[in-house]
Amino acid sequence: MLVSTGMVGLLHLHDILWLLAILLEIATIALLARKQLSRSYPFFFSYLCSVVTQSLFIAYAYYHWGFRSEMAWRVAWGSQVPVILLRYLAVVEIIRKTLGKYTGIWAFARGFLSGAGLLVTLISLLFSKGQWQWVIMNANRGMELSIAAVIALLLLFSRYYRLTMGRLNRSLATGFCLYSAFYVINYSLLEKHLGEMANFWNFLGVLTFLASLLLWISAVGRRQEVERLELPRMISLEVYGRVSTELNLRLHLLNRQLGQFLSSEDHKQ
Amino acid sequence: MTLSLLFFVLMALLVVGLLLWASRPPKPVAVSVENFFDVLAENRHCTRLPQILQALNPEDERHLQSSGREDMASALRNDRQRIVLEYLDKLQEEFETLLEVSRILAVMSPELTAMQEFERLSLSVKFGISCSFLRWRLRLGLRPWNGFGRLSGMASSLARTVEQATSLISERSMRETQFPPPV
Repeated sequence: MLVSTGMVGLLHLHDILWLLAILLEIATIALLARKQLSRSYPFFFSYLCSVVTQSLFIAYAYYHWGFRSEMAWRVAWGSQVPVILLRYLAVVEIIRKTLGKYTGIWAFARGFLSGAGLLVTLISLLFSKGQWQWVIMNANRGMELSIAAVIALLLLFSRYYRLTMGRLNRSLATGFCLYSAFYVINYSLLEKHLGEMANFWNFLGVLTFLASLLLWISAVGRRQEVERLELPRMISLEVYGRVSTELNLRLHLLNRQLGQFLSSEDHKQ
Repeated sequence: MTLSLLFFVLMALLVVGLLLWASRPPKPVAVSVENFFDVLAENRHCTRLPQILQALNPEDERHLQSSGREDMASALRNDRQRIVLEYLDKLQEEFETLLEVSRILAVMSPELTAMQEFERLSLSVKFGISCSFLRWRLRLGLRPWNGFGRLSGMASSLARTVEQATSLISERSMRETQFPPPV
């Protein structure tokens, strides 16, 4: 009795949160359009539009076929494909906006981040169940983990090379990363009990998405004006090659000196 | 707990950890686009290794101990430990400055050599680990300068060779940059 009352309560709370999420999504879309950011962030804008469309689509499917029907399940997960693809494109958009103005770093990071993203997706699929019914869900989890990993690497890249990352880009990236990471944890912990705990699973999913939405809406709202695009000064490839070689030589020298301190201790022993 | 569950949860937690670590405010740095070539041309602490090694010759300490001046030998040991720690700090400072210069260079370059970038990253990891290891050994009283005298000659010639080679490259590079002089 207690369990069923709890489940009913959770169902209502989930519905309220779902409605709140749709309202916040629409508010973020309106804010992006008002601040003329829909043109500079077309994939992020499209992603949010696709999320709203998907919510309406799923609501219709549940209403028409019922919450527990296989058809509704297929429609719900099938509609996830374009959403996750747009999500990935929105992340690529943020990466490009952050690294794109640094020609050398962008060329270097592009291959590195793509490779890392692909590798994480493939490893995730290897760890997943083999049945065809699970393909979309497992691929979804793999891509979410890949998104989170790529964003973490982007932030590490920016920190290592001391690149300036605008507040909006940072907040968008953080929102995507946190949602994706929590999605992976949520899905992995409840994977075995997805059938009986579908409501709780959905509830946690909506809750984490709401947190990301609040982060995005606050970042978009605080953005006052178009950020100035400061292009870095450039040097020739030859100068880079020469000075880079010198730097590595000197770093090797310092490392070797440290090695000598250590090996002197080893001799003693 | 299955392997799959463990993998996904640990990976997700690792990613969140990296995100939080990378989101910390960066340390202020003294190197900038305007002065990084000057920094390259500055005097280097690493070139002073032979003198440091000479000063840390364990013969003096042994002599004091054999002549019964244990208190003086102890004071000398403490001084030497302080000198080595200070020297390590300077070496690390120099290493980090060079890394800063390499980052500025990478930001301004139209193309990066992946091998060199990865090599630098691996060197910085190795250096950081060795430095911490050595510091802890010194603090625990494990003195690493017993073999310094033996190393002195070797380090001296190595420093001289690399110094000559790198100064030449640096001078050429500085001449070839198209930067206006700093205001």
